[in-house]
Amino acid sequence: MKKIFLLPILLAAFMVSNAQQTFVSSGKIEFEKRVNIHKQLDTDEDNTWKDMIKKTVPAVKISYFDLLFDNGKTLYRPGKEVATAQKVPEWFEGPANENIVYSDLKNQTFTSQKYVFESVFNITDSLHNIEWKIWPDTRTIANFECRKATAIIMDSIFVVAFYTDQIMASGGPESFNGLPGMILGLAIPRMNITWFATKLELVPVNATELVPPKKGKKTNTSNLRTQLKEVMKDWGKYGQKNIWQIMI
Amino acid sequence: MRQLFILGTLCLLSFSWANAQTRSVTGVITDTINQQNLANTTIALLRSRDSVLVSFTRSDLKGKFTLTNIPAGKFLLMITYPGYADYVDDITINDSEARDLGLVKLTLKARLLEEVFVKQRIAAVRLRGDTIEFNADSFQVREGASVEEMLRKMPGLQVDKDGNVTAQGTRVEKVLVDGEEFFGDDPTMATKNLQAKDIDKVQVFDKKSDQAVFTGIDDGSKTKTINLTLKEGAKKGYFGKIELGGGLANRWNNSLMFNSFKAKRKLSVYGIMSSTGKTGLNWQEKGKYGGGGDNMEYDEDGGYFVSYGGNDEFDNSRFYGQGIPTAWNGGVQYSKKFDADKQNINGSYRYGKIKTAGGGNTISQSILPDNVFTNREANDFLSSKQRHSLNATYEYQLDSFTSIKLTSSGFVGNQSSLSTATSSSVDSAGNAINTSSRNLTSNGTNNSLKNNLLLRRRFRKIGRTFSLSLDQQSMANKADGFLNTNNVFLGKTGQTINVDTVDQQKINDIINSGYYSKLAFTEPVVKNVFVELSYGIRVSNSEAKRLSFDRNTDGKYETLNPLFSNHFNFKVVTNSTGMTWRYNYKKVTLSGGGDVAFANFRQRDVIADTALRYRFTNFFPRGLFQYKFNSNSRLSLNYKGVTQQPTIEQLQPIRDNSNPLNIAVGNPDLTQQFRHSFDFNFNSYKVLQKRGIYTYASFTTVSNAISTNETTATTGDTIGKRTFQYINLNGNYNGYSGGTYNMNLSKLDLDISFGFNVNVSRYNSIVNNQKNRTDNNSYGLDVGINKSKENKFDFNFSSSVTYNRSVSTINKANTTNFFTQRHSLYANLTLPYKFELNSDVTGEFRQKVNAFDQNNNVVLWNGYIGRKVGKNDKGMVRLQANDILNQNKGYDRFVTSSVVREETFQQLRRFFLLTFVYNFSKAPGGNAGK
Repeated sequence: MKKIFLLPILLAAFMVSNAQQTFVSSGKIEFEKRVNIHKQLDTDEDNTWKDMIKKTVPAVKISYFDLLFDNGKTLYRPGKEVATAQKVPEWFEGPANENIVYSDLKNQTFTSQKYVFESVFNITDSLHNIEWKIWPDTRTIANFECRKATAIIMDSIFVVAFYTDQIMASGGPESFNGLPGMILGLAIPRMNITWFATKLELVPVNATELVPPKKGKKTNTSNLRTQLKEVMKDWGKYGQKNIWQIMI
Repeated sequence: MRQLFILGTLCLLSFSWANAQTRSVTGVITDTINQQNLANTTIALLRSRDSVLVSFTRSDLKGKFTLTNIPAGKFLLMITYPGYADYVDDITINDSEARDLGLVKLTLKARLLEEVFVKQRIAAVRLRGDTIEFNADSFQVREGASVEEMLRKMPGLQVDKDGNVTAQGTRVEKVLVDGEEFFGDDPTMATKNLQAKDIDKVQVFDKKSDQAVFTGIDDGSKTKTINLTLKEGAKKGYFGKIELGGGLANRWNNSLMFNSFKAKRKLSVYGIMSSTGKTGLNWQEKGKYGGGGDNMEYDEDGGYFVSYGGNDEFDNSRFYGQGIPTAWNGGVQYSKKFDADKQNINGSYRYGKIKTAGGGNTISQSILPDNVFTNREANDFLSSKQRHSLNATYEYQLDSFTSIKLTSSGFVGNQSSLSTATSSSVDSAGNAINTSSRNLTSNGTNNSLKNNLLLRRRFRKIGRTFSLSLDQQSMANKADGFLNTNNVFLGKTGQTINVDTVDQQKINDIINSGYYSKLAFTEPVVKNVFVELSYGIRVSNSEAKRLSFDRNTDGKYETLNPLFSNHFNFKVVTNSTGMTWRYNYKKVTLSGGGDVAFANFRQRDVIADTALRYRFTNFFPRGLFQYKFNSNSRLSLNYKGVTQQPTIEQLQPIRDNSNPLNIAVGNPDLTQQFRHSFDFNFNSYKVLQKRGIYTYASFTTVSNAISTNETTATTGDTIGKRTFQYINLNGNYNGYSGGTYNMNLSKLDLDISFGFNVNVSRYNSIVNNQKNRTDNNSYGLDVGINKSKENKFDFNFSSSVTYNRSVSTINKANTTNFFTQRHSLYANLTLPYKFELNSDVTGEFRQKVNAFDQNNNVVLWNGYIGRKVGKNDKGMVRLQANDILNQNKGYDRFVTSSVVREETFQQLRRFFLLTFVYNFSKAPGGNAGK
């Protein structure tokens, strides 16, 4: 039986001063990923082309991901599928948009499975070491009060994250992690992508589900980066965008 | 220097590591109201200079916490617990210190976090990522003030007496306008020339070097940059291109293109005059100066097809026809978006004139039972056409569900032509059988008008759509001309046995008009299954008047020749309805359905005052299967069935004597043919491995095929004259297949491709009362090699060989077998001192077929040498040579059921052209125009 974790329940629990229930140590979070396709097109110089495309694709591509977490381990994987009136062609969103990421927060390692064009990669490496800057701003996401943190990843990409200390696992969507709590909101302005949690389900997480993805060619972060750079060296800014998208 | 830095960092790291074990912060968290220890409290240590998270932990069940492995320095200790106010305090950790904070009490009275964080918010200033953004209107400046004056007022920015800007202590080296460089790299260009009132926002940030942006590897070089974003109203500017080219022998190619834009309105004009084959805007120019954009099609799986060009010379960018063209072209285009981009108008006017002169030779072989007639013809022509066209589009997006689009286009034009031809025929023994000469002149006008209204509506239920399309089309062609022919038929010994002459005035008047409306509705039936229903009705009326007047003895053309005159009215009403089912889920698309159309023809012969009616029921079944292996690999299978009704010309031909040696006869008993077409496509591209394969195959078989029954007189007083009629026959088919495999040899960075193509066709017909079956097959192989380096060189070689074979059962001795080859070598080199060298050689070799003794091989070599000139290399001077070997000629070889025909015609040959091209522009917001 699934229970939806809602603020009133949380508050009630808090009022009877059973403080233990304030914190969540295992469950399932649903993230809504939004890619603003029209904005991505704005980097294109050819205006005629851009205007034509804008008429035929929706402004935002929405997809859903689930994040399972328990006992210092998280698993991020594609979630429910939602029909849309206008389909977004696959090549628009680019590669690596059905990633599965398993993170072992205790041992500081991750294993991810990414579809990159015709290939499937299985990447195992130590967790990204992100230097987070903490801000006083807060906002509520999925009924949790979240604090803002910002960072610069891959030397140049600015990201904004909102995390809640009420969820014990220091995880987040994709391979974002390292904050004192769970990231429930994440934005990468330069890539026009956001992830926001829509709900948390307090469901028991099956240990057999919380395992690293197995499919794909085994590699690590630096080998993959070298390979992508070699292939996309003549792709100009699209190559750069693809590399960012694959490597996050 | 860099190494020193790394060394220093390493030392620091090892130093802090050595001491980290000994530094720690411990404490116990409790709440002030309930005096209860708080478990799971977050204790985070932030670097006080920039709030970067250094370490964090959670308190245990008893509220105790220990932060270990921490470096020395000044920090903010941030303790948070849901529902409690944040606790933030400064803490300095010295070497080898184990700090015990004792009891930390969380209360609602704790210091507010905001006070200790560095204040970043200033009125009218925002931080967007790593960019500081100023709202320009918040900084009051005098009327007419420059951007420079406004920058002086902004906090953190200083401007010195020379106009140099300093931001946060660093000199600003780049000023961009809407993200683009503003006339070169002098930052004062924009700040001094732009007006403060045109600026929406001022953004200050560190721009990484282009290299760093490209590679993503920060090379440490950063440029303090200001980006000025313009207000909508200030977004005006222009760009354009001028090209002047002249050469010997009256060769010239001049054009001027100009586009000015202001916010969402765009006005462009262009003019082209050319005697070197340019007849309009090419696709790149269309995007910038033409209407562009209206001819894009889109399919659900992300395929985009943009079609440029059109039906005739006026729609193409280059001349592909026969002869040597001289063209004048011009146009104006205006477009504007308004009402928050919901409404959009687009209008254009174009004018075009093309004069063409040419000539050529045709050799054709008529393959007959036991004989082969060979005809040789020489012809010359002159033609002149001009046209005025208007196009307009209006689109209105009423809301997110409903849109209306109105399209109108029309033209008026006129044309005149003159052609002469002489020919003679011989039989297989080499005996002359006939000679012919022909003169045809014609003057005419043509005009056309098309209107379309398209209404589309989507609904909240995904997949439910409705569309209504209303079309009106009308077209009129009038021509007035004279036909003069003289045919002499010869006997066995070469004596004249019959002379047939024609001297007639021809008046043709054809008017078509029609209305068409179509209603379509799609509905999701169950998940992933959709049905589309449609109904359409088309009503068309046409009138065709073709009158021939014989010349009287007084030289006037007044006597109507009833044999070659006719006047018909046609009325066609077609009702059609269709249903298509579609299943679409992830990798699989499956669809099937079809249309059925009921056509009613009424043909009235105005001269004879008779009427004929035809009724046809036509079926159009369809089926499609598509499978996507991944985003770059897919397979598709397609079936299409089409009922084709005979044309009126095939049922009841209008007798035409413009070529008196080739006469059509009607067949009122002709019925519909049915074509079954099967298509197969597979393509796959491996992006990371840089190789791909593309294959296709198609096969069409026709039942009740509309084929020909022809008779060529082999004896008598019309020897060599061909008479033909359409009849229904079975057994016709045709098919083709091809494929390409391409790969990249990564060591040499060479792109290589290999391909094949196969064509087969079988055509059944009746020739001189004998059943004939013609098999035409061809097999080809090709290879291509490409190597290029951006801004250095581009090299391309391609080669193809094709074997053709044609056999007719009526005369098996006369099989036609030949090879054709095409080899081409393209090279483009960027040389020092801004020079550029280009060479393009294409050789086409066609093996002679015994009957055709002319040399059909052409080696066409074009090239140019150019040099970039002017500021920012915006200009180019180019010396261009076309057909350096002076060999060019047009060539075509047709092999049909019983005729093998080879045609050569005049095309542009060697010329030299000296050209100057200059691109100019003025960026939005700028006062300076260069």
